[in-house]
Parts: sequence; structure tokens; C-alpha cells
Amino acid sequence: MPSQSFARAALPLAVLMVLSAGSRADSGSGVDMEFGNALLTRTGGANETPDARGMSWLRPGQRRSPGGHLYSCPLEPPTLQEISGWDVDARVQLGWIGTYGDDDNALWNRYVRWDSGLVLGLLELALRRPADGSYASVRASHLSSDDAFFEAAFGRAGSYAVQAFLRELPNATSDSAISIWNGVGSNELTLLPSLAPGASSSGQVAATAAGVAPQRLQVVRSKTGLGFDAYLTPRWTAYAKLSNEQRSGARPFGGAFFYNFLFPENAGALETLRPVEDSTLNFNGGLRFIGARWRMDFAYDGSFYRDAYRRFRFESPFALTPTRPGATSATIYQGQFALEPDNDYHNVRSSFTRRLPWNGELSVSAAAGRMSQDDGLIAPIDCSGTFGVDIDGSGVPSTTNRFLHNCSDWNTTASLSRDSADLRIDTYSLDSRVTLQPSSRLNLRGGVRFNREDYRNTYLAYNPLTGDYGYITENGAQASIQAGALGTWNPLTSPSVITRVRSLPLDRETHAADIGADWRLAERRTLGLSLTTQRNEPTHRERRRVVEDSAKLSFVDRSLDWLTLRASYTRLDQHGDRYVSNPYGSAYSTSLPGFVAPGGGVPAFTVDAMRKYDLADRREHKLDLMATVAPADDMTLSAGLRGDWNDYGALIGRQAYDRTGFHLQWEWQPSPLTHASVHYGADRARLRMANVADVVFGPDGSLGGPDYPLNARWWAYDKQRNRTAGATLDHRFGPVRVDAGWNLVDARGLTSYRFDSPVALAYFEDGLGGARSGSFPLMRYRVDSLTLGLSFALSPRFSLRVFDYYERGRVDDWHYLGLDTNRVIDHRVYSDGGPRGYTTNLIGVLLDVRL
Amino acid sequence: MKRLCAFTLLLASWSAVAGEFVDLRRATAIRGDAVAGAAKVAVCVACHGPDGNAVVPAFPALAGQHAGYLYQSLDGFRRRADPASPMTSQVQNLSDADLRDIAAYFASRRRTPPAVETTGDSPGARLFREGDPSRGIAPCQGCHGPAAQGHPLRAGMARYDYYPALAAQQPDYLAARLRHYRDGGPGDTSNALVMRGVARYLDDAAIAELAAWLAATPR
Repeated sequence: MPSQSFARAALPLAVLMVLSAGSRADSGSGVDMEFGNALLTRTGGANETPDARGMSWLRPGQRRSPGGHLYSCPLEPPTLQEISGWDVDARVQLGWIGTYGDDDNALWNRYVRWDSGLVLGLLELALRRPADGSYASVRASHLSSDDAFFEAAFGRAGSYAVQAFLRELPNATSDSAISIWNGVGSNELTLLPSLAPGASSSGQVAATAAGVAPQRLQVVRSKTGLGFDAYLTPRWTAYAKLSNEQRSGARPFGGAFFYNFLFPENAGALETLRPVEDSTLNFNGGLRFIGARWRMDFAYDGSFYRDAYRRFRFESPFALTPTRPGATSATIYQGQFALEPDNDYHNVRSSFTRRLPWNGELSVSAAAGRMSQDDGLIAPIDCSGTFGVDIDGSGVPSTTNRFLHNCSDWNTTASLSRDSADLRIDTYSLDSRVTLQPSSRLNLRGGVRFNREDYRNTYLAYNPLTGDYGYITENGAQASIQAGALGTWNPLTSPSVITRVRSLPLDRETHAADIGADWRLAERRTLGLSLTTQRNEPTHRERRRVVEDSAKLSFVDRSLDWLTLRASYTRLDQHGDRYVSNPYGSAYSTSLPGFVAPGGGVPAFTVDAMRKYDLADRREHKLDLMATVAPADDMTLSAGLRGDWNDYGALIGRQAYDRTGFHLQWEWQPSPLTHASVHYGADRARLRMANVADVVFGPDGSLGGPDYPLNARWWAYDKQRNRTAGATLDHRFGPVRVDAGWNLVDARGLTSYRFDSPVALAYFEDGLGGARSGSFPLMRYRVDSLTLGLSFALSPRFSLRVFDYYERGRVDDWHYLGLDTNRVIDHRVYSDGGPRGYTTNLIGVLLDVRL
Repeated sequence: MKRLCAFTLLLASWSAVAGEFVDLRRATAIRGDAVAGAAKVAVCVACHGPDGNAVVPAFPALAGQHAGYLYQSLDGFRRRADPASPMTSQVQNLSDADLRDIAAYFASRRRTPPAVETTGDSPGARLFREGDPSRGIAPCQGCHGPAAQGHPLRAGMARYDYYPALAAQQPDYLAARLRHYRDGGPGDTSNALVMRGVARYLDDAAIAELAAWLAATPR
């Protein structure tokens, strides 16, 4: 079906292009990025001849970037044909590709879909009419029905430009999904006929899963776009860009029927397969003025998200059992999720820039935006009949059978405090910057910035049918296991329940200022200093004010022709006002009139010593050293060393996060016929965290107190190590070009832990056989790839490319251990088997023809 | 350095295939004997004037011109052997040493100051200094120096000795050369290809303004 959507999108796009043809625009910015695909990026083109004339007639040899790296040798320009006053360049690359090995693997198919068979590698058509600057171009590629792009542009230089595109981009989300439901891809999952909803055992579910063939899940992104620029006058430009991306497919998701870890042979934790059927329409338009003294920009951005489904429903196979002896659970099995709400985004902005004396410039930008959503709300629960625990066996809720509830009190929108979300966030920003050059040796810069986000309206979860506040937990499963644990607060029946009842507005305001100077010590030697301060003022967070002060010292030396040296050091201090562990009281039932504190008092929200890392005191040191050496005109050697050390002022929470790394790169371009490179990089990260278990739900939040005793502390230490390496060689022997490449990505992560005593563990008290420390199995992700290609220039118009691309992936992820043999463990269902290693080979033959 | 040589050799072989193309990006300094050259310019001065200060507006002044540029121009006449050019017969029997000596001789002569000097703010002056971005015209001073005396880095880099000084040049000659580049004249040197691109958007009026201002600018 994706190929049909590709075709369907083409017709309105063509109509839009025709309608836009009469407009005036300039050749300004495009509507989207330059399109490509895995074939173009991994295997290259067949007929790409370097131009021996180099990059410029003004100077010899290859040129280097400001950072000291060699630019690649440019390709030979096409030989244009003249047809009726138009210069025409056309090229088509057609061929065949074949994939072998584990070519259904999800990692191999990330953002690509290889289908063995004929492919259109690339079609390029460019027309230019020198007489008036008119031009038109088409670019297209088609690897498979789900992996293709088409882009077209036409216009007249200095007058107008129109661009349009279509793109299909797939992404595999699972290569081994086993579904115990029918309806994958829709918003309605119903259990396979062999399973009884809410009445199946773990063994029955496992047997059903074992008989299901694994399937492949993917999400295809189909994007269409249209843009135009109009040069109204030499100084005024109008522009408008419109794009629409539709996403279609399915991916692994969740499904909650309360904790199976806490309640063995009970409850249900389900990995469902949710649909992805949504779209985002983006529009950007405005007017731009560029004068000798002034530059101005007036723009509007709009973004509109639409989801085809409001909710996602699924059935749970498992029977629930109450913890209360002698009682029975109501048979509930219908679960649901509210899917992402439709939402609108509007933003208007204007910016003014004026030249100043001393070669300076002052710019002021102001913007205001609004994000809003007003989707219709879904009922809190989706059951029929009753839910909860039947303690008298009557099956009828009553004052005596008070833990059994009527679904009709909760499965209707009449049980909501309002019908729709009616929420929005207003944003404002003001940004001003100035630069001055009082002398040829000194540059000065500075700026101030202000941002604000205002949350308008909140939602109070209140059921007028029952008088309850809050949400039904876990599709009613908790109430059907633990009698009375509905998840809501009621001033009459449950006045001491502590539960979430209100949405949390996260208004914030940011003020920032910076000043800086760059001092030219010598002809090609510069010293820079930047000082920045930023004050964040969030609401409903642990701190009302967080200040971040930083100083950065930088040095650039290019005084030696063969060396570019760059170094910088940054020191940052984050601090703030008093840290409050529980700023969320207004969102909980404790804030409601009529709340009665439980007998032992209101439990502490968390331990007082906890510091969340985004608000915690932090001291950061950051160092960057980079050197680019030119041992010869045709060679570059570069090396870099970097470090970033963060210390957090936290007894509990993140304590340190340090990253260090280096890279080495060698590049050689002895002639336009030869190019070789080798690179190696390594980095490592160390993350230290501390936490403490709450052994008692009590009111004392102090560390070392009765609720958070010192012997309940635990620590985690996460070590990450990454390596990248690669080598390329490209050489032309007369009409034959040989290219080879090797690439390596190797990431490893190891998380170790230690704790003071078994009470630090949530579920398995001393379940580690007396050990007080240990580590999780090593996480590993490694991909090696090899490319070998041969290109033959058969004639000036025809060339042939033959290539082989080999890739091997190795993945160790302990989260998925055992799922290759059994996807059902007790009352837990894992639909996705997780990432797997693979070995694949891609062979291609491509004929490149210049038409 | 071996790689540089390989690259140069490659360019040379490419030039040969393309038909006597001369890449001046790695050109070396021209050494000649100005004294010996004085004895070889008897025919030259008949048209180009005493010491190379031409009187006829259509003939270029050679006095004070850079030796590299002069040598390359003479070599070009010999290389192209265009039967329509009066210069072809003048150079066909000269040796490379002769060309170097003649170039050295004229480079050592002093250019006669213009009869009327420039005002400094004419349309031609503005075009030379600033170009005209709206018409795609690059400023000439980028390669020929702020006062049209030649490239400012000529002393340290030999390739810039092949960029001519334009000050106090004959206006008709300048205009003819610019039209020649604009209309797709020979592109057999890398510098000629640069000038083709630069002159592409010059109309006759702009050429006349530039030539007039340059002719009135002292060398």
C-alpha cells in the first residue's frame, strides 16, 4: 500500500506545481533537505570522474578549509547539450541489487528497505536557459516500494523558484514480532481465537505465541512538500514552504494490567503492538528585506499534528486474582491508551538588524507562539459490567460489596470533568545581539535573551458520577487485585488516598546575557573570552531559580602554514535557591479540601537529599584540543582530545558524569586519481549515581531517618566505551576506478552496582546470594562493514559499476535474554524479541548513462 | 613534494591533450637579460613606441609591464600561430631566450605618465574597486591591485607576475582585450579562463568606462 500512497500524493503535488508556476520567487532556501538514500551514501555513483583542473584557476593545488582540512577534488562538470536554447544535462543510473544473509534483520533495515531486483539508482535531469536564467531540474531514486524519492525544481534566477518533493522512507521497528492479537496495525487488538480474554493461563498464552509466525513491523514516513521563493524587488523576498509527513505502520508498545513482578501468576504486563497512523503539516512563510544598513525578516511558522486514532484498545488474556481470600475478581480484560492528541502550533517572529559604526551590527528578534490541543477526551476505563473485587459473591456493587464497581460509572465521557483537553502553552521570546570591531585586532560581542512559557489552563480529573478525583489505575486491574485500590481519592469513601488528580503546568522563564571578545594577538593567532550567565525560573519544580554561569577561553593559532591549532577551556557553575523535594503538592489529592492525612502522616514524596540533575548544583570543566597538521600539500593529519567533567552536589542522585575522548585522522590526496584515508576515534563516559530505597512509607524524608535509612543506600556506576575506525582507498587505473572501504562502530556499556544491605533492593531481598555488589551483563553493539567497488568508464556516456557491501552486526542486550526461546513469562508477554546480530551482503550492478 | 610533481605532471599531460593549454598556477619567475633584450626590440618599438610606450591607442604599452605577463603573451603568439595576428610573424623565429630577454627589457622601462590623470571617482573607478554585484561583475582590484599596478602579492609569488598591471594602458587596447575575453576569445591559459568569467557580464559601456579610467591612472 505505501506505493499507492506514493502515487496518490503525486497528483495533488503536480496540481500544486502547476498552480505555482505563475508565481515569482528567487532561488533561495529549499523546502527540505537534499534527498538521498542508503544506496547513494554507501555505494557511491558509477560515473564520478575527478576534475584534474582542481578547484580554482586562481591558485594551484587543492584548497583547504579554514580548519586546515583538504577539500575533495571536484568532479568533472557535465558536458551540456543545447536543445532549443536550453542547456541540458541528463543522467540515469539503472541496475540490479541483491541482498543475501540476514536481510530481514531490523538493524540492517534501519531507514532503508532493500528489495532484491531492479532499482533506479538515480535519475538526474537539469535544464538551464542562459538567455534568461530559467532552469528546471528533476532528481529521483527508487530502491523499493517503500524507499524512494522524487524532487523537482524550476524557476528563474533572480526572479522566482519553485521546489517540490515526494519521499518514502521506511524504518523497521521489529523483525521478529510475535502477536497474540489480530488487528496489528489498527487501533483495535483482539486476542487470537485460541485465547479467552481475561481468562487464559500463562501456559495457554505461551502455547498460542509459540504457534505464531514472527512478523516484520515497520513505520513508513511519506513526506510531500512544496515551496516557492519570490524576488519581489532586489531587496524584498517573499517565501512560503509547505510540507506534510504521514507516518504509517506499527511498533512495539505497552499494555498495563498491574505489576506481575509483585503478584506472580497474577496481573499482566503486555507488550502490545500499537499503530502509527499520524501526520504533521508544516508551513513556513514570510517576507525578508536586505538593505545596505537594515535587514528585516517577518515570518510565520505553523505546525499541525493529526492522529488518525484517538485511542488504542487491546485485550489482556490473563485472569486476575484478588489478594483478599475468599473473594473473586471481576473479569476485566479491555485495556486502552489515549494516543497522541491532535495539536496546533503557531509562531510569529520578526527580526531587525542594523549596521553600526566600527563595523558593528545590532540585531533584535521577537517572537510569540501558541501550542494548543483540544482533543475530545476518552473515558477513564473501557470495561463493561463491573470491575474490582467481589467480596460477597453477588457480582453486584453495593454498600456492602463496596470493592466492586460499576463500569458504567467510569466508561463514559460523562465521568470526566470536561469533554475536551482545552490546554495550551503560550511562548514569548526576545533576543538582542550586538557585535563591534573597534580595531582590526579586537572584536567585541554581547547579547541578552528572554524566553517565557505560559501554560494556560489545567485539567482536574474529577468524576461527577461518583465524586472521585484522580485516574483509574492500570485499566482497573489494581482495583481488581487489591480490593479498594481504585487509584482515586474520594472525600467520603477514601479521604486519605494520595493520588495524582491534576495536570502539572510547567511554566518557565529564562533570562540570559553574554559578553565576549576576540583579540588578535598576531596575524593568524586569536585569543577569545566569553562570559555567559543564564537564569532559569521554572514553576512547580524543585527550585524556583537556577543560575548557570560560564566562562570560556579559546585560542586559535594558524601562524604556521602547516599547523592549525585550536584549544578551548570552559568552566561552568550551576547553582540556585533552596531545593524543595516536593513541589508537586498541587497536583495531588493532598491539596484538595477534605483530604485527611493517613494515620502515620503524609509520606514523604522522596528523600530530601535527592537532587535532580537538571536542577542540581553542578561544576563543569570542559577542555577541547584540536590540531590539524599538513605534513605535505596533499596530506592532512588531524588529532583531537576532549574532556568534559561534571561534578554534581548530590548525596542522592547523579553525582558525576565524565566524558573523555580522542580521534586521529589521516587523509591523502596525491592526485585527482587517488584518495585514501584512515581514522580512529575512541571515547568513554562514566556516570555515577546514588540512591536510597524507601523502606517505610513514612513522613520523614531525611536521609538516615526511619523511612530512608543509610543502610538502604545503593550506588550505580555506568561505564560506556565507544570506538570508531575506518579506512578508505579510491584509485583510478585509466578507465577503471577501484574503491574500497572498511568501517567499524563498536559500543560497549557496563553497569555495575553496590548497596549497603539487602533492604536497598526493591523486590529481591538478598536475592543476590549475599553479595553486596555486582554488575549487569555487558551491553554491546558492534557493526563492521566492508565495501569493494569497481567502476568502468565504457565510453564518455556509459559507465558500469559493480559493488559488494558486506555488513556484520553483533548485539548483546541482556534486557532481551531468553526471549529467543520464550516470549511469555508468567503473566508477561514480550511481542518483540529485541535486536539481533546479523550478517548481510549486498551486491549491485549499476549502469550509468548520460543521456 | 613528489606528489606535487605528480600532480603537476598530470596537469601538464591533461594540458597537452586539451591543446596547448598553459596552466599558470604554478608558473615560475621569468629570468631574462634586459641588456640583451634591448638589442632585440628594434621591430617591437616600431609599433609599441620608444621604450615600449606606445603612441597608437590600439597598441598596448609594454613599458613597465611585468616580465611574466610579457613573456607569456609573446609565447602565446608563438604557440597559437594565428595567421590573422600581425604578432605571429614577429615571434615565430624568436627563441625562448629571446622572449625572456625582450620581456625583461620592457619590464625595466618606465611607463610614460598619462596626459590627463584620473579624477578618482569615475564610474570606471567604482567598477574597478567595487565591481557591480547586481550585474555579477567582480571588482578588478582583487587581482590587479588597488591602483591597477598588478597583484599586491606579486613580489612573493611568481604566479602573480603573470597578472598584468593595467594603469596607464592604452584605452582602445584595453577595451579590445576585454571585449575579446567577454566574447569567448582564446582560453588557452588558466589566466585567460579567469578573465573569461570576469568579463562575461561587462557590456560595452562598462568596458569603455573601465578603459578610460585605467588609461588615466598613473603607472
